[in-house]
Amino acid sequence: MEEVWTVKVGDQHMDEARRHFHEELAAVRAEIVRLAGMVTEEIPRATEALLDGDLQAAEDIIVGDDVLDALSLDIEDRCYQLLALQQPVAGDLRTIVTSIRLVAEIERSGDLVTNIMKGARRMYGSELDPRVRGLISRLGEHVQKIFRLAMDSYIDGNAGLASALDDMDDTVDELHADYIQAIFESHSTGTIDLQTAVQLALIGRYYERIADHAVNIGERVRYMVTGWLPEHTGAARLAAAEDGEAGG
Amino acid sequence: MPSRIAGADAVVVGIAAAVVVLVILGTVISRHSVHRRVAAAATRLGAADTRLVQGRGLERGLVALDDAVEAHVAALTEAELHASRLGAALAAVPQGVVICDGSGAVRFRNEFAESFVNARHAEALVEQAIDEQLQAALAGRPDRRSIEVYGPPRRALVIMSMPLDDGALCIIEDVSERRRLEAVRRDFVANISHELKTPVGALGLLAETLAEERSPEVSARLARRLQDEALRVGRIIDDLLDLSRIEAEEAPSREPVPVHLVVAEAVDRVRSLAERQQVTVDVEEISERQTIRGDRRQLVSAVANLLENAVKYSDPGGVVAVRSHTDGTWVELAVRDDGVGIPSRDLERIFERFYRVDRARSRETGGTGLGLAIVRHVAQNHRGEVRVESREGEGSTFTLRLPAGPGPVAVTRAEAG
Repeated sequence: MEEVWTVKVGDQHMDEARRHFHEELAAVRAEIVRLAGMVTEEIPRATEALLDGDLQAAEDIIVGDDVLDALSLDIEDRCYQLLALQQPVAGDLRTIVTSIRLVAEIERSGDLVTNIMKGARRMYGSELDPRVRGLISRLGEHVQKIFRLAMDSYIDGNAGLASALDDMDDTVDELHADYIQAIFESHSTGTIDLQTAVQLALIGRYYERIADHAVNIGERVRYMVTGWLPEHTGAARLAAAEDGEAGG
Repeated sequence: MPSRIAGADAVVVGIAAAVVVLVILGTVISRHSVHRRVAAAATRLGAADTRLVQGRGLERGLVALDDAVEAHVAALTEAELHASRLGAALAAVPQGVVICDGSGAVRFRNEFAESFVNARHAEALVEQAIDEQLQAALAGRPDRRSIEVYGPPRRALVIMSMPLDDGALCIIEDVSERRRLEAVRRDFVANISHELKTPVGALGLLAETLAEERSPEVSARLARRLQDEALRVGRIIDDLLDLSRIEAEEAPSREPVPVHLVVAEAVDRVRSLAERQQVTVDVEEISERQTIRGDRRQLVSAVANLLENAVKYSDPGGVVAVRSHTDGTWVELAVRDDGVGIPSRDLERIFERFYRVDRARSRETGGTGLGLAIVRHVAQNHRGEVRVESREGEGSTFTLRLPAGPGPVAVTRAEAG
């Protein structure tokens, strides 16, 4: 009789611990969504500040990056605590590992937005021709779109959407190539000086890198949902090559 | 022996009598206790006459309790109905409403506020702001905060919170449209004063300089400038008159007007400008069967304004393309250029009167700032619409969508030009 009672207490304790663990996971997820929301909002804000030459808006975004950094550290800490205290396995473990990786990707994207603003400060006062302005605007829109979709795939646990992000990134790469060409043309016609051209090229690279981080988020989401990692493809290739050599 | 037996019987009878007395006494006491409890319960429930409850028998007490319970059930039903009405009213208000209790647990959220729960992207930041405002109100600090989210859609929100007796209230208002209208009103006054004062001021100064000028060459140049500025004022007045006439004619005539004739007349109006700017106007052949139900003069004015804009903002060597097609119900007439394009943030506002994307450039092109406002009014008068798609540096496409006419109409030689 006493043994049965003990087991019941143990079950209750397990249930309580599990409920608490899942509440913590949900809280971590909500914080990641908020962290990404900050970056998603900063992308169009930064594009507008860049095109308007708005130094105050640029400064606000640069200062705001500290909040983003602090929040990402906080989320990481919570994830490590969950790993240490709950020792999760299988899907729960993948969720936490993905959360840690995601925070790094999002935080780095925030840094890149900050870099765009620093570039905008350096080229303050330069007149840009309409084609370059239009391409910056399109880059900003596409990068924000792909970042939003990456986060949608995370929130909905949608591995299909996550794997489609790589193809969407091709559009950003094409836009980036057009943009670099437009910078060359603008410089050759004397509309912009060399310094501005270099700053613009760097800014384009930052946008393109944010899209790359969005693709990385997609890959991490695929891992979270299915257990697949892009590295697995490379590892399988290496193993096949080694097998081939051994066999040959 | 018999006397002993009789004594024992008496004892039994005595005990029995005592038991009976005790039972009766117990029943009376118990009844009295139940009566008191019933009376107390009825009193607590607010029975109308407490003396009635306390002074009379148990039956009366039960009746009073019954009445009081009935009254309370009725009050409860009324309160539920009231709460449901309040809930429906709060759900219908255009603002978001969140009410939490003293512990911070949310007790009510209307539909608009619900859209920020478990939100993603920018809305996740709004959700956080609502939480923070509620916490501030619970701590006794009513607060008001403005948030601008870039979305899409881009929205301006005001979040207000205030403490309640046992909890807090938060109201979320979408002020995007109000802000837009405020900006339109504010900019309109500034723009109209700029557009009218600049040429009038220039006229005064030029006339003053001319009066004191002795050199015939300089006088001739000043006179030319005077003429230019006078023409500019004249154009603005013409466009203002045009616009007010179009605004006044809310229901223009609804005759079937052949699209190819409207386009031909509009192209004719901008031909000399296009030649000066070295811009080609390319009109795809439009079927003579295509007609628009509307006012020919207004339609020509709208298309000519779109063409003029496209030509002015094209680079030399550029092409302005005019295309038209119909699905039988609507005619879509598109004017596309590969000029400077319009920044996305200005796209919503270019149909406002005197709104300028680039004020410096607009003075070079000589526009009045009313062309697109005229186009929009013509479209609205015809129960149609005008849309714009544009990219900076890549050009713009303006599309007029107007109700199609019944089909081919007889065109006189004079109309056909």
